[in-house]
Amino acid sequence: MKITYLNLNSMKSTKFFMSAIICLALTNTFTSCSDDDDPDPVLEEEFITNLTLTFTNTADATDAVVLFSTAPDGFEDGTSTENILGTFTAGATYSLSLEILNEQEDPADDVLNDDIIPEADEHFFAYAVNGINLTMTRDASDVAGPDGSKLGVNTTWVAGAISNGNLQIRLIHEPTTVDDSDEFGSATGGSEDFNITWTGVVIL
Amino acid sequence: MKYYVLIVLLVFMCFGFAQKCDDVFLGELRDFHDNTPLNGATVFIKNLNKYVASDERGKFKIENLCKGELILVISHIGCETKRITFNIDGDMFQNIALEHHIEELNEVSIAATVERKETKTSQETIIKSETLKRYSNLSVGDALKEVPGVSSINTGSTIVKPMINGLHSSRVLIMNNGVRLQDQEWGIEHAPNIDVNIANQISVIKGSGALAYGGDAVGGVVVINPKRIIRLDTIYGRTLIGGQTNGRGYNITSTLNKNFSSGWFAEIQGSSKRNGDLKAPNYTLTNTGLDSKGVSARLGKLNFESGFEIYYSFLDNEIGILGASHIGSVFDLERAINSGQPFLVEDFSYEINAPKQEITHHLAKLNYYKRYKNFGRLKLQYDYQHNQRLEFDVRIGDRREIPAIDLTLQTHSILADVNLDSNLNRKINFGVIGRFQDNFANPDTGVRRLIPDYNKYDFGIYTTVEYVVNNRLIADAGLRYDFNRIDAKKFYRKSRWDERGYDEDFSDIIIDETPTQYLTNPVFDYHNISASAGINYSINESQQMLLNYSLASRPPNVAELFSDGLHHSAARFELGDIRFDQEISNRISASYIYSTSKLNLSTEIFYNNIRDFIYLRPFDFISTARGPFPLWEYQQTDAELFGIDLTINYNLTDNWQFVNKTAYLKGNDLGTDMAIIDIPPFNTTNQITYNNESWNNFSASLKSEWVFKQRDFPDFNFEVEDELNEEMILVDISSPPPSYHLLHFYSEATFILSEKTNLNISLGVNNLLNAAYRNYLNRLRFYADELGRNITLQLQLNY
Repeated sequence: MKITYLNLNSMKSTKFFMSAIICLALTNTFTSCSDDDDPDPVLEEEFITNLTLTFTNTADATDAVVLFSTAPDGFEDGTSTENILGTFTAGATYSLSLEILNEQEDPADDVLNDDIIPEADEHFFAYAVNGINLTMTRDASDVAGPDGSKLGVNTTWVAGAISNGNLQIRLIHEPTTVDDSDEFGSATGGSEDFNITWTGVVIL
Repeated sequence: MKYYVLIVLLVFMCFGFAQKCDDVFLGELRDFHDNTPLNGATVFIKNLNKYVASDERGKFKIENLCKGELILVISHIGCETKRITFNIDGDMFQNIALEHHIEELNEVSIAATVERKETKTSQETIIKSETLKRYSNLSVGDALKEVPGVSSINTGSTIVKPMINGLHSSRVLIMNNGVRLQDQEWGIEHAPNIDVNIANQISVIKGSGALAYGGDAVGGVVVINPKRIIRLDTIYGRTLIGGQTNGRGYNITSTLNKNFSSGWFAEIQGSSKRNGDLKAPNYTLTNTGLDSKGVSARLGKLNFESGFEIYYSFLDNEIGILGASHIGSVFDLERAINSGQPFLVEDFSYEINAPKQEITHHLAKLNYYKRYKNFGRLKLQYDYQHNQRLEFDVRIGDRREIPAIDLTLQTHSILADVNLDSNLNRKINFGVIGRFQDNFANPDTGVRRLIPDYNKYDFGIYTTVEYVVNNRLIADAGLRYDFNRIDAKKFYRKSRWDERGYDEDFSDIIIDETPTQYLTNPVFDYHNISASAGINYSINESQQMLLNYSLASRPPNVAELFSDGLHHSAARFELGDIRFDQEISNRISASYIYSTSKLNLSTEIFYNNIRDFIYLRPFDFISTARGPFPLWEYQQTDAELFGIDLTINYNLTDNWQFVNKTAYLKGNDLGTDMAIIDIPPFNTTNQITYNNESWNNFSASLKSEWVFKQRDFPDFNFEVEDELNEEMILVDISSPPPSYHLLHFYSEATFILSEKTNLNISLGVNNLLNAAYRNYLNRLRFYADELGRNITLQLQLNY
């Protein structure tokens, strides 16, 4: 008489599964499915680190006022510090020249002439003063801005009576509308590339 | 001579073909689970058309069997009939197991409306498909608000993040058909990537009692499950089409299931949802459109002894964020807060422009289970998720089409889970899980990464015990250990590195440098212990009490550790801290349930003490060349939360029903003695429903929703200087909006079209009175009101 027994290998299968799980669990901690190369630093565009406003007396080249703003980590989100060198002479006329640089590049990147002026129809400089007797005009030779306006790169300033106060410059990128009828200029929409105020500007 | 040979051959052939039918078959029938012999089972021998019964030792004998196939059909009370085939070639002895547990038969029951809870002693509420279908055109976060104590933190009306007892994001785990969702959930504007239409049942568990899912659920767990498979030859499904007036939205979802009695099953499901600009009572909410598409499929075989399932789901979302919420500076924010109106209001459009989010999420799962006699069930699972998130800000020039955030997150998990349920009075469950995650932050955005590239390794091991002490008392307990390692590669600006003082403790993680930045490789390990213990006590037939204590441990997430940069569209800096420890939460809860046919009352109370609680608050300012920006820093403090949630269901008559849901919550920062930010205010809803089964199961209900003004909030207001005009400007970001009251109407009827087909038509009106209001928990509350009236019509065909 032959007797056949059914082979229940349940315990064997269990052991197999347990070791498989532990094996897989351990391999997970050691294998890495991605490449281990270091990430690249982000290249930020139109990166600005320095803004310099140089007001030069049209009658006397040695009489100048320089306003600095520097942000070593960039204008976008780095801490910026402002400085003033010199004082305005009451009654004098000054010619303003702008310098906008990225000094993280060597040699420094001239953002004004390489990026802003070539895209003059998408930018606009707006100025404002408070407390200080300064008036300005945008030169006839000024670069053309959006919608028939003047960009605000070449400007002439007249210092009035003795006073002190604040001076603001803003650069608006892709404004919706611009208005330079009051010379200082205003704009709506767009986004501000920078908005810097110097306090304690003096006319003596 | 030929004849003699023929006769001899014939005789031999006769001998050859003559069958010797004298084999014996001895069988022994036992219960699969506990090996007890099955007495009095009926064995039907198909070949012989004969019956035989098993004795008190489960044994039976069949004699005079011929060689060849033997087919037996064995049945026993309380067991599923089993049909087995044997090949007889001599005497045979066989042990045969029959599945004999009535509870387990729920898996094969048809139209079972059994509520299968995930936990026994935790505060768990189940939302069923009849309720979920009302949210077909909305999101999971909206559906979860059916549970008192569950609210949401929103970014507009289309980005809805569930909030359980005031806690959200990394503190709430979401399970999609057994897979833990990994979709950048650390972000407060990152809604869960899940299509509400795949859910047949959602369990909301307050607290971390469901240890099998994770040890870091400081807030709670949301378990989303599809329909249970039934082992019958059947094909069924549903199709739902809906439209809504607010946003001129339309949605369609369809599911088709095919099941076989052999255990094979297949399901395919798809959804598409679209709306244009939503509308507040007084103006259009420009750029709040939504375009969402999803598809999911399941395939597998489920038998009592073993089974497997393959599951895949895909979701693609394009979500517009209110155009008026994009601010370039803190002055824009102040103007928005004070104007009371959004500055950008245009005519209705379906177009979705920046700011917007585009997210795709793939999820694939493969699982297998096998039951072993006298042991239990072993389950193995592998799952993979791929999440890509693009966030578009309003950008200028060439970068207009380039997202400001581009993150790709890939996660692999493997788990093994064993359920020892041979003894129904003492069920033990234990398991291990291993996970690998890779995050890639694309530098092509041109914006410094808000969070860095990283690899994350998780390993967890857990065990839970459920003990039926007597027919009134169930006790359960669990213990879990998790190991997490995060290995990131992050750039720090040298100025930030010095300012944070990282040089003292972390100089060894610097691996490279550029003129202005350090490349660092922080590698942090966290060891977490979590535990849970509770009892479920039936005081009598109508009263029940639950008590639970749970310990959860949550390591800091990548945003809390590594945030470092300007969050452009929010015009604020966010800064994390790599020195953070994990959060440790001790939560005790108690629930009292009173249940009769007329009245159902449920009271849930809890206290949660969280050591090293991490949150974000404005702390300082950065003076940049674009103006001052508030600097929000992550803080670590000790906190406590306390709340009461109440549900009352009263059947006034057979046709009239009254429901009340109320939630009260308090959260304190023990370090600063201020309230915690974004705590949901006291709210109560009262609903009266009329239903009449004989009118095609018609029902109509009116709901009154009262949300009170939050009086406990931290004062994080700040002043910022307008340097040109030398003015200090107050930015009030803390004051919560006033209280509000809304009225909602809902009605539905089901028309039986044939034996298996019915059509459900529903009409709902949200914010019936078109009230204008703002919600404290909406991060965009500074810019615009919430939604006005919305009329929704839905047709669902079930077949």
